[in-house]
Amino acid sequence: MKKRPVLLIVIALNLVVLVALAFVYPHLMVSPGPLVKGHADLTTDCFACHAAWRGASPGRCIECHAVADVGLRTTKGVPIATGTIKGSFHQDLIEQDCMACHSDHQGPKLTKRSRKPFSHGLLNVDVRDRCSSCHAAPKDTVHRDLQVECGQCHQDRAWKPAHFDHAILAPATLDRCESCHNAPTDRLHRQIQGNCKSCHQTEAWKPATFEHDKYFVLDRDHDAPCDTCHKNNDYRRYTCYGCHEHSLAKIREEHVEEGIQNFENCVECHRDPRVEPEKGRGRERGGREKSGRERD
Amino acid sequence: MPLPARLLRREVLPFLASFAVLALGALAIDGLLHLFGLLWIGRWLGIPGVLMIIGSVAYSLRKRKLIQRGHPATLLRWHEALAWFGSLLVLVHAGVHFNAILGWLAVGAMLVNVASGLTGKFLLDRARRRMEEARQRMRERGLTDEELEERLYWDSLTFDAVKQWRVVHFPITLAFAVLATAHIVAIFLFWGWK
Repeated sequence: MKKRPVLLIVIALNLVVLVALAFVYPHLMVSPGPLVKGHADLTTDCFACHAAWRGASPGRCIECHAVADVGLRTTKGVPIATGTIKGSFHQDLIEQDCMACHSDHQGPKLTKRSRKPFSHGLLNVDVRDRCSSCHAAPKDTVHRDLQVECGQCHQDRAWKPAHFDHAILAPATLDRCESCHNAPTDRLHRQIQGNCKSCHQTEAWKPATFEHDKYFVLDRDHDAPCDTCHKNNDYRRYTCYGCHEHSLAKIREEHVEEGIQNFENCVECHRDPRVEPEKGRGRERGGREKSGRERD
Repeated sequence: MPLPARLLRREVLPFLASFAVLALGALAIDGLLHLFGLLWIGRWLGIPGVLMIIGSVAYSLRKRKLIQRGHPATLLRWHEALAWFGSLLVLVHAGVHFNAILGWLAVGAMLVNVASGLTGKFLLDRARRRMEEARQRMRERGLTDEELEERLYWDSLTFDAVKQWRVVHFPITLAFAVLATAHIVAIFLFWGWK
C-alpha cells in the first residue's frame, strides 16, 4: 500500500502534462482532423473559427470570405480572372450557412464523412431552374440541338438516370432520328433508308409495330432483299413484279384464266405463298371484282 | 477434484468473455449503425455512457463511506453493470475513428479501468477462494498458524500481486475521469450545439 501515493502522484503528474499538451497542441489533442489546405495557418488557433461554447459560425467565415466575393475575389481582394462556378451560385443561396456544405476539419481519413455534399435545394428557386448559370450543356449529338432546361430530363441529385421524352424535340429534329441514334447494322436494317418511325415508336425501340408476316409471309422462295418488293425504300408500297418469277403478263394470264379480274393487289389473296388461296375466297372477292369493274 | 476445470469455467472464461463481449458488442453496434446510416446515434451515445459510468460511482462512494445509503453488495452489482454498459456505449461512441488524441487516451484509460475492475471481480475472488481453501486444508492437517503462513508465503505474494490490479483501479479511474472531463470540456467548448 506504500506504493499507492507514489502511483497516484505519477498518474496525477501525467494527467497534468496531458491536459497541458491539450493547450499547446490542440490540433492533435482536441481537433477532429487536420484543417483544409487553405486554412493551414489557423491550425493551432481554434478560436479563429470557433466561438467558445457555441462552436463555429458562418459569421466567423464571412469575416474573411465576403459572400459577394466568393468565386470572384480572393480573401485578399485580388480579382479571380476567370469566373468560377463558385461565383455563380454562392450569392444565390437561400441562406448563408457555410457549414451546411463545408467542413474545415477533413474528418477521419478513412471516411471523410464530415464533408457534406452540395444540395441544389440550397439555391434560390430562380437560379435552381437556370442550370446553365452554373453548368455548361454537353455538346454531344443528343444535347446539341436541345433548347430546353436540363430539368426536363435530369434530376438535380445526379445526371443519371435521366428521363428523356421525344416530345421536347423540335419537329424537324424529331424526324431526323439519325441525328441522335445510329441505325442498327443488322441485315434487315442495313437495307432500310427510311424513317425509323415507320416501324418503331419513340417511347421504346421494342415492341416495333412492324410484323411482315401480317402482310406477307416471307418464305424461303421470298427471302429477298427489301428493295426487290419495296422500290426506293418506300415501305408503304410493294410490287410483286420485282423478280423474274412474276411478271404482269404472266400473272394476268393465269388470273384471267381463273376468271379473276382484280389481281393488282396480290397480297389480298396471297398472304402466305405456302397456302393456295381458296376458291371460295376467290369468289368472295367477286364483290371486289365488281367494285373493281365499277372503278373501270 | 476437478478444481482447475471448474476455475477455468467459472472464473477465467467469464473474465475473458466479459471483456470480449464488450469489444465485440461495441463492434457489432458500430457496424449496425454504419450499415443503417445511423452514425449520428453513435455520436450521442457518449452522453448516456458517461452518465451510466457516473452512476456506477455510487458504489465507490458507499464503500469509502462518503454516502451512507444503499446496500454495498447491491451497489456493487449496479457498479459492475452500469460501468460495463456505460463503457460499451462509450466504445460505440468512440467508434474506430482515429481523431483527437485526448479522446483516445480517455478510451484507453476506460478500458484499463474496465480490465482492472473485471480482474477484481473474477481473478481476485478466485485467488482469495483458493487461499482460503488451502488454509482450511492445512488447518485440518494440524499445521500451526506460523507454519501455515510460511507455506502460503508465495501464494500470499501472488495474491498481493493480483490485488495490485484493484489498487490500480482507483488511480486509473482518476486518469479516466480527468481525460474524459478534458474531452467533454473540449467538445462543449468547440462544438456547435444546434
